[in-house]
Amino acid sequence: MQSHGIPRVAATTLDKSEQARNKERKQITQYQALEKDVVDRAELDAQVKAKDYSDATFRLTSQLLTQNPEYYTIWNYRRLILQHVFARELAADEAPSEQDAAAADKAGLPPAQHEVLLLIKEDLQFLIPLLKQYPKCYWIWNHRSWLLGTATKHLPAHSAVTLWHAELGLVSKMLGLDSRNFHGWGYRREVVLAIERLSSNGDGEKESGSGNMVESEFAYTTKMIQSNLSNFSAWHYRSQLIPRLLSSRNADTKTRQEFLDAEFELITRALYTDPYDQSLWFYHQYLMATLSPANKQAEPVLEPCGRAEQARYLEREIGSVREMLEGAEDCKYIYQALLEYSGRYLEVEAEGEKVTLEEMRGWLRELRGIDPLREGRWRDLERKMGL
Amino acid sequence: MDSLDNTSWDVVITGTGLPQSLLALSLSRSGKQILHIDRNDYYGGDEAALSLSEAEQWVKKHGGDASENADSAYSHATISHSEAQEEGAKKLGFSRAYSLALTPHLIYARSNLLPAVVSSRTHSQLEFQAVGSWFTVTAPPDGSSSQSRLTRVPSGREDVFRDDSLDLRAKRSLMKFLRFVASYDEESEQQRMKQLKSLPLSVALKQHFGLSSATAVAPLLALALPTVSEAETTMEFAVPRIACHLRSIGMFGPGFSAVLPKWGGLAEIAQVACRACAVGGGVYVLGQGVKNATHAEDTGDSKLRLELTGGEKVLAEWLVGCPRDMPSTISTHNMSRAASAEYMTKSISIVSSPLTSLFPPTAEGGVIPAGAVVWVESASSSSRSVRILVHSSESGECPASQCVLYASLRGDPSYLDIAVQHLLESLAERPKPEVLWRMQYRHHAEAEQPRNTTTSENVVTLQPLSTDIVLEDDVLTSAEQAWRKIMGDGAAEFMKFESREGVDEDE
Repeated sequence: MQSHGIPRVAATTLDKSEQARNKERKQITQYQALEKDVVDRAELDAQVKAKDYSDATFRLTSQLLTQNPEYYTIWNYRRLILQHVFARELAADEAPSEQDAAAADKAGLPPAQHEVLLLIKEDLQFLIPLLKQYPKCYWIWNHRSWLLGTATKHLPAHSAVTLWHAELGLVSKMLGLDSRNFHGWGYRREVVLAIERLSSNGDGEKESGSGNMVESEFAYTTKMIQSNLSNFSAWHYRSQLIPRLLSSRNADTKTRQEFLDAEFELITRALYTDPYDQSLWFYHQYLMATLSPANKQAEPVLEPCGRAEQARYLEREIGSVREMLEGAEDCKYIYQALLEYSGRYLEVEAEGEKVTLEEMRGWLRELRGIDPLREGRWRDLERKMGL
Repeated sequence: MDSLDNTSWDVVITGTGLPQSLLALSLSRSGKQILHIDRNDYYGGDEAALSLSEAEQWVKKHGGDASENADSAYSHATISHSEAQEEGAKKLGFSRAYSLALTPHLIYARSNLLPAVVSSRTHSQLEFQAVGSWFTVTAPPDGSSSQSRLTRVPSGREDVFRDDSLDLRAKRSLMKFLRFVASYDEESEQQRMKQLKSLPLSVALKQHFGLSSATAVAPLLALALPTVSEAETTMEFAVPRIACHLRSIGMFGPGFSAVLPKWGGLAEIAQVACRACAVGGGVYVLGQGVKNATHAEDTGDSKLRLELTGGEKVLAEWLVGCPRDMPSTISTHNMSRAASAEYMTKSISIVSSPLTSLFPPTAEGGVIPAGAVVWVESASSSSRSVRILVHSSESGECPASQCVLYASLRGDPSYLDIAVQHLLESLAERPKPEVLWRMQYRHHAEAEQPRNTTTSENVVTLQPLSTDIVLEDDVLTSAEQAWRKIMGDGAAEFMKFESREGVDEDE
């Protein structure tokens, strides 16, 4: 399955020569044998309750997962084994070796926790080549998340936050390889949240504390958008950051208005470059939605934000979008936007003169002509808007 | 080794330039007895890459005018010895630190050469670097360098988005044009293309796409890289070239459309190809050309009798080469230079600075390119512009902290050096980068000749590279035609090999 041009599995040579087919046949047999082995052991576990969390079993999971990371049951077994090992390490009574003690000292951790950290790091390392090969596999991201969560639970903040920072680097790299991988974006939000939590004093002062990452994350979305305008995930993330960004900047009324105007300027520039890109229209719609008090999804940017502000921006943007028509008369998104905003405008400013019903009927006609497959939808729109 | 005298071969290939080497590569698994010779004592022929001392020798050899170099593609070679250069020479690295390409070419990602390099299993021996940014340098009206301006060419939607010199209307119009170019050969646009094709590019842009400002036209000319003047550059020429660029962007990574082979460009590919043929049993001899060839008809048997420059006599079922390497007894190659009035003046300049501003990363988190393309505008729309390929030390062609400028201009060379100075001035680097060493020469195009003319059944002529700086697909297709002729019916797939035993498969 491919999505926006990037295959689900990173490119591997699909050489189907006789040689390769034989190799594959061998791999399948090996895999089936291993699978049976682990399932047997698990069954054995359940039946006899003799928890075989040995190194051998662990290695079996590694082998199986390297061949097929989608088999989530094996990930669960792996976590059972790891949990057992961590618990054992943390409860250990015997004194550590001199070597281990020295290493732990250097890391600023008690030996037991240092052991756990090393094991977690090792498992994170194990995941890297898998992630590169299967960048859209839920279970790999999930296991990473679990490892980091375990680290946060058992280790002091300064240790855990180092791991999380490394994760930020990793996810930036993954997003560099495929900027629209939603796993990456979701994971990034998780990482940022964790870093902020661990960096704050824990007393809820994170907005102004040094742990506040909202500015750098906002800059990151700008960077991603500049390298690929169609990056819906980046635009979406940007929209999620805006309310926090403004409150963290202690933005007053004037600053907020300047900010909103700058965002409109940005998206208008993008729309002139490519009005055929739907992700850009979604962002424009988001900005317009912040003006509408009824819309619970979009927190208001302006302060205050009442009817007058809404009407003014609607007027301005309808004018702006109308101008975009020149040279892009075949772009259905422009007509759709015009109709939507006009509808809203007439609700807010019933006496408004900026748009006439005749004009709206004209736009609807164009829409029908450009996209006849959606005739039913345009008929609904016509009825809803009373045209 | 044993003398070649009285040996018999299936194929004798003369010249180790790129076309011939590609043919050798294609035949490397055929089991045929191949003798591959070159009259020079180095590999690469016309596409060779030279160290400093090799360049000096080469210049001596090709220093004369056209008539003295009748059997060569090059003439009028000189090395500058100005006072500045005498000073500069002291800063040069040792001779072998340089690998200067005689004909650097842009290999677009869409080129048919690259898949062939992969399928023939030679790609692991080659390292390709990105050619990242395109620039224009505007020539100041009064001719003085100090006003030269360097502008980056937007090469895709995101660049257009970010370009502050384009207003909203210009962005819209430029995108519209780029969208047209991207699908110019599809059915939906064929009619339109037909209407526009003989118009000059600048005229079509103004009348049909609403783009008249110089800020919009110059970058498009830069992407098309014509050798003729702006007024003579037609849509028919420019649109496919720009389309090639647009369709190549992002193929091998974000933000770049072309690659260059490390360590000396096309010469490197030629060497790797010859190596593959040698591994397959081919015999290589430098310093030998074909002095004489007698047709099969004359001798009564099916083979050609060839005499090499060293006097050895060999038999060959097939003789393959480019026209200039063919002996006059066989080839209809026109030795008279008068017929070939077309030539490109080229120069190679070693510059004292790495010119890092020409090599920004190709994209966020992307690679650092090793090549850049600069289009230096001419003084007027009726005169020709200079194209400069800039290679950083990452290309392996010069030591770190220097770079190499390859400039080319059709015809009269007087503007060539001025253009290089304009470029160096426009970078606003202080101290101003200086040219440490410079050589100049003429590269002559083949006189018009139909492809693969053979005066004998057993002689196959390959198309030499053009004097342009873009590698055309013709080079490989010419090699394929020759290969097909030699292999006859029942030949396997062209350039498709299994990897040899012992070579690692995992990638």
